[in-house]
Amino acid sequence: MRLLAMSMTTHPTAGERLRPGARFPHIDLLDHAGNLRRLSDLIAGDPVVLHFFRGWWCPKEQAFLRRLLELQDDAEVAYSRMISVSVDPPEVNAAFRAGLGARWTFLSDSDRVVQERLGLRETTDTVNDPYVPAVFTLFPDLKIHRSFNGYWYWGRPTIEELRQDLRHITRAIRSDWEAPTP
Amino acid sequence: MSWCWLDLLAAPVDDASAQARVFEPGGTPAGWLAVWLRRAKPSRSARRIDARLVDRHGAAAWVSLVRPPDGVRLAFDDLAVQQARRAVLAAPPQDALSTLLSDASHFEGALTVARGAGVARLADDPFARIFPGRVLRVEAGLLGAVPAPCGPTIERYGSAQPWPWDRYDAAAS
Repeated sequence: MRLLAMSMTTHPTAGERLRPGARFPHIDLLDHAGNLRRLSDLIAGDPVVLHFFRGWWCPKEQAFLRRLLELQDDAEVAYSRMISVSVDPPEVNAAFRAGLGARWTFLSDSDRVVQERLGLRETTDTVNDPYVPAVFTLFPDLKIHRSFNGYWYWGRPTIEELRQDLRHITRAIRSDWEAPTP
Repeated sequence: MSWCWLDLLAAPVDDASAQARVFEPGGTPAGWLAVWLRRAKPSRSARRIDARLVDRHGAAAWVSLVRPPDGVRLAFDDLAVQQARRAVLAAPPQDALSTLLSDASHFEGALTVARGAGVARLADDPFARIFPGRVLRVEAGLLGAVPAPCGPTIERYGSAQPWPWDRYDAAAS
């Protein structure tokens, strides 16, 4: 049995929209190694790119994840986090992640509990019932800075857009953004 | 405090915060692994580790303990150390991991804690490609499990913090 949970005190109603300025709900999901992880613990004070994708089998997701890999080299030294979520089980996410060479956390919602609460099910795919592709840039307190609807591929963010968002959030949360100088 | 001191000793000591016997894979005693939850350095060869690894109720575990030869140090930002951190993030997480530090600038080894299926992978510890590593069995009562970092950050959150301590925290200094 999969261990999936959402906080009953903070999740939105089913119809709540995940719009900029709103707080992203607290979610708990299994990571690619099968450990239950809480979104806020994973973020832990840094800006984050939160990415929902259909699954390993989708050519668009394969292309987009290769794009995200370009951001990884910057993010690994920029105190920023990346999290990808799908309905694939942890072992599939683990294999997909390893094949990509991704070094960020993949979360698994194979029971689709969180998907339903977020209202992010792609209704046109009744075979896989995947997440509708979406990307959110978040402040550490889960406030949504920007959201991208990736149902049509060109709706997804470019690396430059993500970079600008991470710069905006970092500037807002780091009190020493203006470098200390004599 | 986010870090504590760790050392591998020949015999137990009175002032350690926690300690446990360690053994070579064949069962030969290899000394005592001790930790001190305090500021003052307890021994010449003690090094800083992430204090979250310490769990007096932790189960027995296998560890990869990587230490440089005497007199050898390597910059924490050395490319080999960077790549080892990337390799750790890319692989399935172990129960716990901490780099070893004595100051803000140098990499002085690593401690990786494994149980179950992860034990076999200790032989391929990425940090053991930099300095010699020993795989040892540690008795219960010393080491716990720590959630893996989110990734992909390979930097330290302040140069005094052992990687992969994963957050800025005003209380963690």
